[in-house]
Amino acid sequence: MGDLRSLADLSDEERTAAEALLFRLADDEFVLAERYTEWQVIAPTLESDLALSNIAQDELGHARVWYDALNRIGHTEQSLVWERDPGSFRHSTLVELPFEEGDWADAIVRSYLYDVAEDLRLDAVAESGVHELVDPIEKLRSEEEYHLQHAQQWLERLCDDADGLDHVQDATDRLFEHALTLWVPGPEAAAIEEYGLRGDSLASMRRQWLDTVGSFLESLGVTMPLDPEDDPADHRPAAVGRDGSHTDHWPRLHDDLTETYRELDRSDVRRLRGESA
Amino acid sequence: MRWEVFRQDKRGDYHKHCGDIHAPDREMATLFAQIQHGRRMTTNSLWVVPSDEVTEIDTEDTAFGGRTDKAYRWATTYNVDASFAKEVEDSEKEQAAVERERGATASEGEGDD
Repeated sequence: MGDLRSLADLSDEERTAAEALLFRLADDEFVLAERYTEWQVIAPTLESDLALSNIAQDELGHARVWYDALNRIGHTEQSLVWERDPGSFRHSTLVELPFEEGDWADAIVRSYLYDVAEDLRLDAVAESGVHELVDPIEKLRSEEEYHLQHAQQWLERLCDDADGLDHVQDATDRLFEHALTLWVPGPEAAAIEEYGLRGDSLASMRRQWLDTVGSFLESLGVTMPLDPEDDPADHRPAAVGRDGSHTDHWPRLHDDLTETYRELDRSDVRRLRGESA
Repeated sequence: MRWEVFRQDKRGDYHKHCGDIHAPDREMATLFAQIQHGRRMTTNSLWVVPSDEVTEIDTEDTAFGGRTDKAYRWATTYNVDASFAKEVEDSEKEQAAVERERGATASEGEGDD
């Protein structure tokens, strides 16, 4: 791939489309990481606690990658996170839902549905032809592999037990329509496709995702909440995230995560020393 | 189930014991070991071993090295200029350090008698 372009080299229209794509990617990772950290100290065992916390840190690292790209085209830390209106976040509603109280299966099912999607999505982004989108993918992938293994191995073991299988089924029933919002188009959807920023269409990725998660979950004895002939659009929750509509849980979470910033009356954000600093 | 974890910093180094983890089976054990023991330190490889599979033999079971004088074993007994080979020199230094320590332990022991 010798002919990658930088975000700075894109036309204004192309850049606006790339920006919309970056917000989808970044916001998903950021909000999911924020939710995962709620398991810290209360996961079933010390080992599972550390594993999920580490996954949360990975996802924060991925959010950092995509927010950094947005930084380069004029966004600031404040405008990206701390002072941004919760209604302009573009993440899927899957990542903003609170966990069912103490239900580890919720965290595992959510992570599985998300990580399979992320795998497909990174493949598509790798075809974008844009440096800032393509360059980080190899690093991200090396971490994603662990996430998927972690989720699959947990699912296999949870479903080996009748009670565990019930929990996985409940979590799947509860989360599935929200997971489908991972594939709902948002702003600039047509432009993203037109300019080739996404190597595969959302509809095609959704099909592959449904195939993959459907066959794996069914092999474990989980009943899919969606029949193969169902139109996924009929299973869409009231809020889909991608267009800025969110469940009531999101403004609350956003409020929590920006509370210190507001309380301390901050207006600037200091970057920690990073690899690029 | 408990597993012992051994970490190797870089290729060619020894694997050194770095702690343990709890995991129901081998697959999960390797998954958890990576995070718990390979995340912060430079890691080239981990050995993950069921704790039950580690056989211990200690000073109560045996006299390591025997009890009688075997000074001829120690590299430091011989007057050789080892500076021509770094590994020999290192080995001598290691031996000398062990002897110093052994001497200290022995005299402590004598004091107690």
